[in-house]
Amino acid sequence: MLTTAPHLYIRRPSPTTAEFTVTTCPPLTVPLRLLLLTLHLARILLFSAAVLALYARFLEPSQHSHQHHHHHNNNPIISLFLAGNIPQFLTTLLQTAHRSQPGTLLAQLTAPLPDWAVALASLGVAYATVCFRLHRTESVLVLRGLGIQTCTISGKWGWGTQTRFIPTEQIRDVLINEAFRGFEVRYYLIVVVEGEEDVVVLFPGLLPRRRIVEAVWRGVRGCLFEGDGGGGEGDGKG
Amino acid sequence: MAPTYNIAMVSDFFFPQPGGVESHIYQLSTKLRDRGHKVIIITHAYKGRTGVRYLTNGLKVYHVPFFVLYRSASFPTVFSFFPIFRNIVLRERIDIVHGHASLSSLCHEAILHARTMGLRTVYTDHSLFGFADAASIFANKILKFSLSDVDHVICVSHTCKENTVLRASLDPLMVSVIPNAVVAENFKPLDYAAEVSAGSFRGHPPPARPLGPHDMITIVVISRLFYNKGTDLLTAAIPRILENHPQTRFIIAGDGPKAIDLEQMIEQNVLQDRVEMLGPIRHEEVRDVMVRGHIYLHPSLTEAFGTVIVEAASCGLYVVCTQVGGIPEVLPSHMTVFAKPEEDDLVAATGKAIAALRGNKVRTELFHEQVKSMYSWTNVAMRTERVYNGISGAISEAEFYGYDAANVAGSWSATRGRSGVQSFALIDRLKRYYGCGIWAGKLFCLCVIVDYLIFLALELLFPRDKIDICPDWPRKERKVDGEGCRVKAGRQQGDNERRAMDSLDGHWDP
Repeated sequence: MLTTAPHLYIRRPSPTTAEFTVTTCPPLTVPLRLLLLTLHLARILLFSAAVLALYARFLEPSQHSHQHHHHHNNNPIISLFLAGNIPQFLTTLLQTAHRSQPGTLLAQLTAPLPDWAVALASLGVAYATVCFRLHRTESVLVLRGLGIQTCTISGKWGWGTQTRFIPTEQIRDVLINEAFRGFEVRYYLIVVVEGEEDVVVLFPGLLPRRRIVEAVWRGVRGCLFEGDGGGGEGDGKG
Repeated sequence: MAPTYNIAMVSDFFFPQPGGVESHIYQLSTKLRDRGHKVIIITHAYKGRTGVRYLTNGLKVYHVPFFVLYRSASFPTVFSFFPIFRNIVLRERIDIVHGHASLSSLCHEAILHARTMGLRTVYTDHSLFGFADAASIFANKILKFSLSDVDHVICVSHTCKENTVLRASLDPLMVSVIPNAVVAENFKPLDYAAEVSAGSFRGHPPPARPLGPHDMITIVVISRLFYNKGTDLLTAAIPRILENHPQTRFIIAGDGPKAIDLEQMIEQNVLQDRVEMLGPIRHEEVRDVMVRGHIYLHPSLTEAFGTVIVEAASCGLYVVCTQVGGIPEVLPSHMTVFAKPEEDDLVAATGKAIAALRGNKVRTELFHEQVKSMYSWTNVAMRTERVYNGISGAISEAEFYGYDAANVAGSWSATRGRSGVQSFALIDRLKRYYGCGIWAGKLFCLCVIVDYLIFLALELLFPRDKIDICPDWPRKERKVDGEGCRVKAGRQQGDNERRAMDSLDGHWDP
């Protein structure tokens, strides 16, 4: 419901430019927006819980000094933030959260666990919530006379993005190829780059299906080489 | 209009590796495509040859990176090919799986999986096997397993059929004999092209080329120098033949472990100037070597068909060969002198052949035309197509298996459905496998059940609608009658397919 199979958006800001975006994000309707909003809230909550758990276990000052702080700390949190005293602000914020009812509950819940388990779990949750991408999007921007810019998913779990620009002079051809991948044979788009041994695969992370691959192929060639009559210079067979 | 099929040829043996099975698959596929079928070839990856390839005539070859799958060692080999095979079969919309060569494990696996997926299967056997030694017994058991549930079997000669029927305990009715063929154009005698194309004979046969009494007679041997090719026989016979017939010499091409014996024989008898060893040659060079000789000597100890003697006859050579395996079926008697596979008889037969040539009793210059009319791949493709029609039910059981057989249907077609084609129901398949042996039968049944479970799992894990369908290469138009067919590529009607095709072709229509 939150994601779909990869599908294609084509944007043509000018006649000589085209952007092909393949994404797993479905069209944004009101219910979907609400759902996404709750999802983001949940992420924020989870992240805070993880940080709080870490604080409660490893950074919380002793009970005594804690009392001391409590007395000392009468000025409201907002004023600390406005004063630009960020470390002090964060400490106070965490203390307040820790003393609050959910905070105590969290501390009670994590109390029976050993130190390493708490550390691992909290760090893991924090990392996952920060880096989590629900939708995966890859795009190809074609500029006639300039070249192709690809924006692809990268990183170990596909959490980063990577862009690459290939100038027109280096593009020898754009074509569709078939290859074995895992237990199946897939169609994919490749750019043959002058002077490079390996071809550049477009949409390597999502590997959309044949219908999309063909649409993009047509579009890219139309935008990049329009006027040469859709040349037969590529044999497309690989 | 006869139906056309999507056919997958599966074998471990295909180009770039040279060999008889390889060229058989290539020629048959090409001719079947000419007849309007769609043919793809599935083989394993060779060094530097992985992935999906198109040959220059549009034949699509899947070089499956098979050994990558082997790495997960606990995965039994019998099933490891299934996921990728299913993917290929679905995306190419295959109806018939045609396996080649009994030593190809890929072929046997494909037949098993294809039956599980509910496809028709055909198997072509290219070789003869013994029954006695342990390796043969094991190979025969595997063959029996694989062929328990095949729809039809094709053998290259009647001897091969007999052998296969016995090895795999098959019903002889489901085994057809379709011989190999040669591309006669590639095996023309010396000067043939110039004379015939000049039209100097106006349809009359070319004149005889008489041999003078003192002309040199050259005997050619082209074979891999292995034990089963009769190299030992050759080593023993050569000195005696050369001693008996002064105006003769030998040309030997090929390589193998027995080459050293031949060289020793040459040195011991000081025959360096009368025996020429060429070493290994490529298939394209075979004709050029053959036309240097007058007699082709083939001392093989076992041979299912012996394409090379057809090639030799096509080049206008008189053939001396051992009477083993399928060889006696291959050529008419006026082209050959047969010998028993023993030294004395081989020497005597070669002597007879030399005498016949010296007496100008053999019109070798006519052989080419005769071979050309006997062996053609188009004919092989036609007969193979009939097998496809038979197993898919396009022609009736009576027409395919013969009217007598159909009349006594009850007795022999216990394993067949009423339609005359084998039923795909799992329980029927298990019945067929169970008969393979006391232990083997149960083991095979287990394999089939596991295969079926894997099939169900694959249907869940990789659903059919997630697999892209391949656009077809434009099929060739097919003549309704006659052998030939138009070479002009047919234009696809479906707009989709046409566009998809363009994309494969690299053409872009604005």
